[in-house]
Amino acid sequence: MSEVSKFEPKIVAYVCNWCTYLGADLAGTTRLEYPANVRIVRLPCTGRIDFNLLVKALEIGADAVLVSGCHPGDCHYTAGNYHARRRWMLFRELLDTLGFDLRRIHFTWISAAEGRKWQEEITRITEETRKLGPYRELYQKNGFRRPPAPLPSAKPPAPAKSDMAAQEQQLRETCTRLLTDRTVQVVIGYGAGGPVFIRRAEDAGKLVWNMDCQANLTTYLKRKEIQRLGKAAVVVKGCDERGLVILEKESQIDRQTLRVVGMACEGMGQPKCDTCEVHQPRFADEIIGETADVAPGFSPAPATLKGGATATQPLDTLMQMSPAERMSFWAQEFERCVKCYACRQVCPLCYCERCIADKNRPVAIDTSATPKGNFAWHITRAFHLAGRCVGCGECTRACPAGIPLELLNLTMARAAEKHFAYRAGMDPQAEPLIGSYALTDKEDFIR
Amino acid sequence: MSEILTKAGLRELAKEWIAQGKVVAGPVQVKPGLVLYAALASADDMVWEGFVRPANSAKELVFPRHELLCRYRTEGNRVELTNGGAEVPAQILLGVRPCDAAALPILDHVFNWDYRDDSYNRRREATTVVTLACASYDESCFCTSVGLGPQAERGSDVMLFDLGEEVEVRCLTDKGRALFAGKTQTSQRTAPPAKGPEPRFSPQRIKQFVDEHFTSPLWQDDTLACLGCGACAYNCPTCHCFDIVDEGNGQHGERVRNWDSCQFAQFTLHASGHNPRPDQGSRQRQRVLHKFSIYPEKFGEILCTGCGNCTRNCPEGQGMLTLLRGIEHAL
Repeated sequence: MSEVSKFEPKIVAYVCNWCTYLGADLAGTTRLEYPANVRIVRLPCTGRIDFNLLVKALEIGADAVLVSGCHPGDCHYTAGNYHARRRWMLFRELLDTLGFDLRRIHFTWISAAEGRKWQEEITRITEETRKLGPYRELYQKNGFRRPPAPLPSAKPPAPAKSDMAAQEQQLRETCTRLLTDRTVQVVIGYGAGGPVFIRRAEDAGKLVWNMDCQANLTTYLKRKEIQRLGKAAVVVKGCDERGLVILEKESQIDRQTLRVVGMACEGMGQPKCDTCEVHQPRFADEIIGETADVAPGFSPAPATLKGGATATQPLDTLMQMSPAERMSFWAQEFERCVKCYACRQVCPLCYCERCIADKNRPVAIDTSATPKGNFAWHITRAFHLAGRCVGCGECTRACPAGIPLELLNLTMARAAEKHFAYRAGMDPQAEPLIGSYALTDKEDFIR
Repeated sequence: MSEILTKAGLRELAKEWIAQGKVVAGPVQVKPGLVLYAALASADDMVWEGFVRPANSAKELVFPRHELLCRYRTEGNRVELTNGGAEVPAQILLGVRPCDAAALPILDHVFNWDYRDDSYNRRREATTVVTLACASYDESCFCTSVGLGPQAERGSDVMLFDLGEEVEVRCLTDKGRALFAGKTQTSQRTAPPAKGPEPRFSPQRIKQFVDEHFTSPLWQDDTLACLGCGACAYNCPTCHCFDIVDEGNGQHGERVRNWDSCQFAQFTLHASGHNPRPDQGSRQRQRVLHKFSIYPEKFGEILCTGCGNCTRNCPEGQGMLTLLRGIEHAL
């Protein structure tokens, strides 16, 4: 007997308590036969399913996974399945970019009366998975050979734009005024050696505005050490400002007390600057300078870029590879991850008081820098930012191991734009992408 | 008189070592602008110039970020342990910087103090350190402030000096001599002494300050920019904190040790919820204290080799030097 014919796939099904579990039960009581390859995990609702569970099942030897719940309109909790459907649309895209084999990941709606559908679906999934064979590509790093890296080219520092000195002067004057009239107690701004926290008007001269002002300072708004200093003004660029839109929507900042000093910016010489659409701040209380590169407003049109490039070009290149190659690419990239969590700490939107990665009773995400631990962390980080990440690129800039995290963020941003015409941090009126749903959300991948 | 070897000859030698089954690790160009120490798949992967030093540290090759300690399996009341301590292959660290090499004898103290750490010692004993003296430095470097320099020999078995087409080879230990015996030629050329960065601070004065100013407002004021990630500690040649965790379930799994950092809020978090180091100021203070006061008192050595990786890797451009210069300024 050949090895293939001996192979019996293991399938893990995460089903909701109210519909699919009862459907499976009905299949049993009506004596419908279906393959014994499926292991059922009963959960209250598909809306409750943490997508890391799917990844975990694959890690411990499942060859395929299934998520199944109530049909639209039938949810015991009214809308849990709608939330699951929307999250699932985004999560599939993330798994695709990471090179997971989507043929092994299934989603169905099966009601309590559909014992026969359960029988059919399990039979079909088992047959398909049997043909695919065991899932050996998971986290394999040998399927892709990176082209040799070119030697370091000493990139000349971008020349300072002519009006930056004038902007710097105006910035200092503005901050002197804000501190003198006690509008704020601290100005979070750029200094010569990194971020500075100016508390006295006479120190406003320490503020600078030059080509080194790359950091996104809004991340300091979440830090208790900074909050303790009192009412704050924060210096932002147009790209940083987008994060404030999200933070306000998520009740993390109070725009009544926070002063925003927006700097018109023609780019800081970073890759993201070539595709920037928000050179001019839009919501700041004080706007310093003006740039000809004006934002195109809230249009959900894809980014048009300087020099003919597109924002999604590096991602497009990645997506041209096969899933197995993509997985190898990421396995090699993540192999360098030391789990320093610089990506999390610099992110203005990673503000959880206790990150899931720090949860240790029990452990939710392995702290080990192993393929399992690394994929779990990077999937979680990227997915928690789905529909929230504003593309400031700080995670990529901060990563000491040079992992291209922006590709994961871009995947989420592109999926949000493609499926929901949604762009995080552009429209202050927009409903948050995750946490809301629409009856019209598509479900062409759900059987 | 000196011993020399052409760079091509050295590469051939490295190929020989790899062919013998030894692990050869050195600086590798990972992507434009990023050089990291890593095991070489081929000797051709190693890069010589175009960078000051790799962005990570060579400690990772003797004290890995993740290490299996043992496997466990339970059956009824029986627990079966299988030792994870597999044989480690002979390893050559080729072209590491003097600040990486010097860190190893410093780390030896803590891994052989009240407990002899097998995992560390096994790797350490299997390792030969072939250091490449520094030909350049940048504004983050401060080795001369902690008693080292661009040609410091501490921790090295062999010192290499770049002479252009050739390298000068100075074997310092038997381990080193065993690698290069019969492979070099005698020459008249010898590397001139090199100048390192100007000293930036005095470790004695730093120790005095930290010992006397535990409650100074400086700790809060000068650390506001710190975001509490572990990029400094994880790329530091001397930081060595770790955490031991069990991964698996009640029936079977692995006991592993992973790096940990005093800059994480969770590092000192008690089960009660109390955190004796509640803010980044006290965590940064701990870092300075450990490096410049606690470690010198316990082992007679500063826990810092001045490599400057903390500054290079800090997303906000901070690092040990920023804080130490602040202290010098306050004195």
